[in-house]
Amino acid sequence: MDAAFNGLLALADVNLLGLILLATLGGVLIGALPGLNGTTGAALLLPFTITMEPIAAIAVLTTVYCAATFAGAITAILINTPGTSASATTCLDGYPLAQRGEAGRALGMAAVSSTIGGVVSVICLMLAAPLLARVAYNFAPPEYFALTMFGLSMLATIGNGSPVKNVLAGATGVLLATIGIDHLTSIERFTFGLNELSEGIGFVPMMIGLFGISELLFQAEKLHVKRRQITMKAIELPTRADYRKVWKVILRSTGIGTFIGILPAEGATVASMIGYNEAKRWSKTPEEFGKGSIEGIAGSEAANNSATGGAMVPTLALGIPGSPTAAVILAGLMVHGLRPGPTLFTEQADFAFAIFWAMLLVNCLFFFVGLWGAKLYARVTLIPINILWPIVFTFSIIGAYALDQSMTDVWIALGAGILGFFMRRYGFSVVPLAIGLILGGMLETRFGQSMVMLDEKWWLIFSRPLSLFFILLTALALFGPVIFGRRRKKKAVAEPIAEPESTT
Amino acid sequence: MQSDQGHPRPSRYGLSHYAIPTVIIAFCALAFWLSTQFDRVPPILKRGIQPSDFPQLIIGLIILLSLSLYIWDKDKTPDPLSGIVWKTIALMVGFVAIAQIDLMLGISLFGGCLTILWGERRPAMIAIVAILVPLGAFFLFDLVFEVRFPRGLLTNFWYG
Repeated sequence: MDAAFNGLLALADVNLLGLILLATLGGVLIGALPGLNGTTGAALLLPFTITMEPIAAIAVLTTVYCAATFAGAITAILINTPGTSASATTCLDGYPLAQRGEAGRALGMAAVSSTIGGVVSVICLMLAAPLLARVAYNFAPPEYFALTMFGLSMLATIGNGSPVKNVLAGATGVLLATIGIDHLTSIERFTFGLNELSEGIGFVPMMIGLFGISELLFQAEKLHVKRRQITMKAIELPTRADYRKVWKVILRSTGIGTFIGILPAEGATVASMIGYNEAKRWSKTPEEFGKGSIEGIAGSEAANNSATGGAMVPTLALGIPGSPTAAVILAGLMVHGLRPGPTLFTEQADFAFAIFWAMLLVNCLFFFVGLWGAKLYARVTLIPINILWPIVFTFSIIGAYALDQSMTDVWIALGAGILGFFMRRYGFSVVPLAIGLILGGMLETRFGQSMVMLDEKWWLIFSRPLSLFFILLTALALFGPVIFGRRRKKKAVAEPIAEPESTT
Repeated sequence: MQSDQGHPRPSRYGLSHYAIPTVIIAFCALAFWLSTQFDRVPPILKRGIQPSDFPQLIIGLIILLSLSLYIWDKDKTPDPLSGIVWKTIALMVGFVAIAQIDLMLGISLFGGCLTILWGERRPAMIAIVAILVPLGAFFLFDLVFEVRFPRGLLTNFWYG
């Protein structure tokens, strides 16, 4: 209780509140600009936060995360281009509503659903994270090793990519994490005698490259795409009848989003798709979906915003990112010398609660910022990409340089950008690579500690109930899609008409 | 999930179907060889694992997964890269060369050239991207965040 109160006090600073308001505006702007999303935005802002106090730095990153997730809906509704991938399902009903002259109603519903989803999920985060941390406090290295393996195995299900390619990218990230001095033996590995590599590959330049510069190259392929914009003359808020129609949808999607968010590596995109599908499945008027259904917007937006709070549960309590943006926030925590995990809630409980309150605040803030500024943001989205992306490049390069003031980091960012671009082109997601890089160090350290603890008898990891449980979950995450996918295929051959609609 | 179900097997795979796993395996072979060059902890001091053990374990996993791509990867080969992407990558290479002379000069020239390459023709807009934004970013980081940029042709004017 004291920690919660102290966290609130830590936040009661005019400068910090001003910074959060500014970050909310920036986050909404980032989310509204097609091509930029919360992950890219957080990665680009990471260098700016280095000079800040840890609370301010992490509050800014989480604020951008929450605000950008909501703001993706603005462009989804107004120009039929999801600002973030989590808002792709919002396009389905938002844009038809906007075409009918009801853009304000759609935006209002998106803002209300996002706010409710976000607030409820942060409350869940405040309750669940310390409890989870208390359980995790009893974990020994083998349990942590198995848990980290589980976190990495969840990468298999990220996005629409092949599970094998996702795991391969994740393993490459883990391999990259071995560059530098081995923490267990202090022996240099893969450094080629370069001092700059002795501390390993920096998270910040890698994130900037993988998310920012690779996207710049991707945008080059989209130069010919023209955006159609709806003129929005007046903001017409949703009616009471609308709210009566959607309150159950919002609650259901909030539950779904929070749960999906808590699962390691699953993010707002998966949550919004499942939230949307469930809204359609339970709706009395499913035929309206895709043609301008207010329930569709509520289902998608409540789910994607509630995933933000959920994703922070494993990030803070276990040190395992719950989403790609949470991975960047985790990198931010590490850069500030904070150790996410159970000890965060015992040794730095005030800090943890300050972050929770900041997230709660921003979830309320973007309701006003998003709704009142919608017209302005609609104009901002018209910034031509041939102006926007060179500016993004400038800040990416300077940001990559700024942290350690090393040109090596600039080359790493550029290299990671080009690598990320080609990975994405050939069906490899860059998210597993980033998460593998972040979790790799932890995985190796826990593995090494487990070997010491178990006297090099690695098979004893299976004799510990909790580690066995996480290893079984890992096996399920890796092989489940293959096994269940085959079963579904066989069933589909036998009963072609009974094939259920895909939920992902 | 897509590659395991629902995608019809293409009649002929593109070069990338074989080239990508091969490149990854070649990279792994090199990494494995490098890992054999790491110093080793003497047996009397060794606790747990040798520094090369974990990377070699991961390299083995990556090779296995790459081999499986030969068999199970059903992703279509993407269309060839458009000229504009190659030109953008070439500009990046140019940036690397010019950044050796001066980082800010490299950023400024890259920004200006990219804006023009991507179709901008208004001189004012090009000037904003090529001059005003890098200048603003430079002073923001230099004066506010106290970041010292590497000395070069242009930055020497400021640093003296």
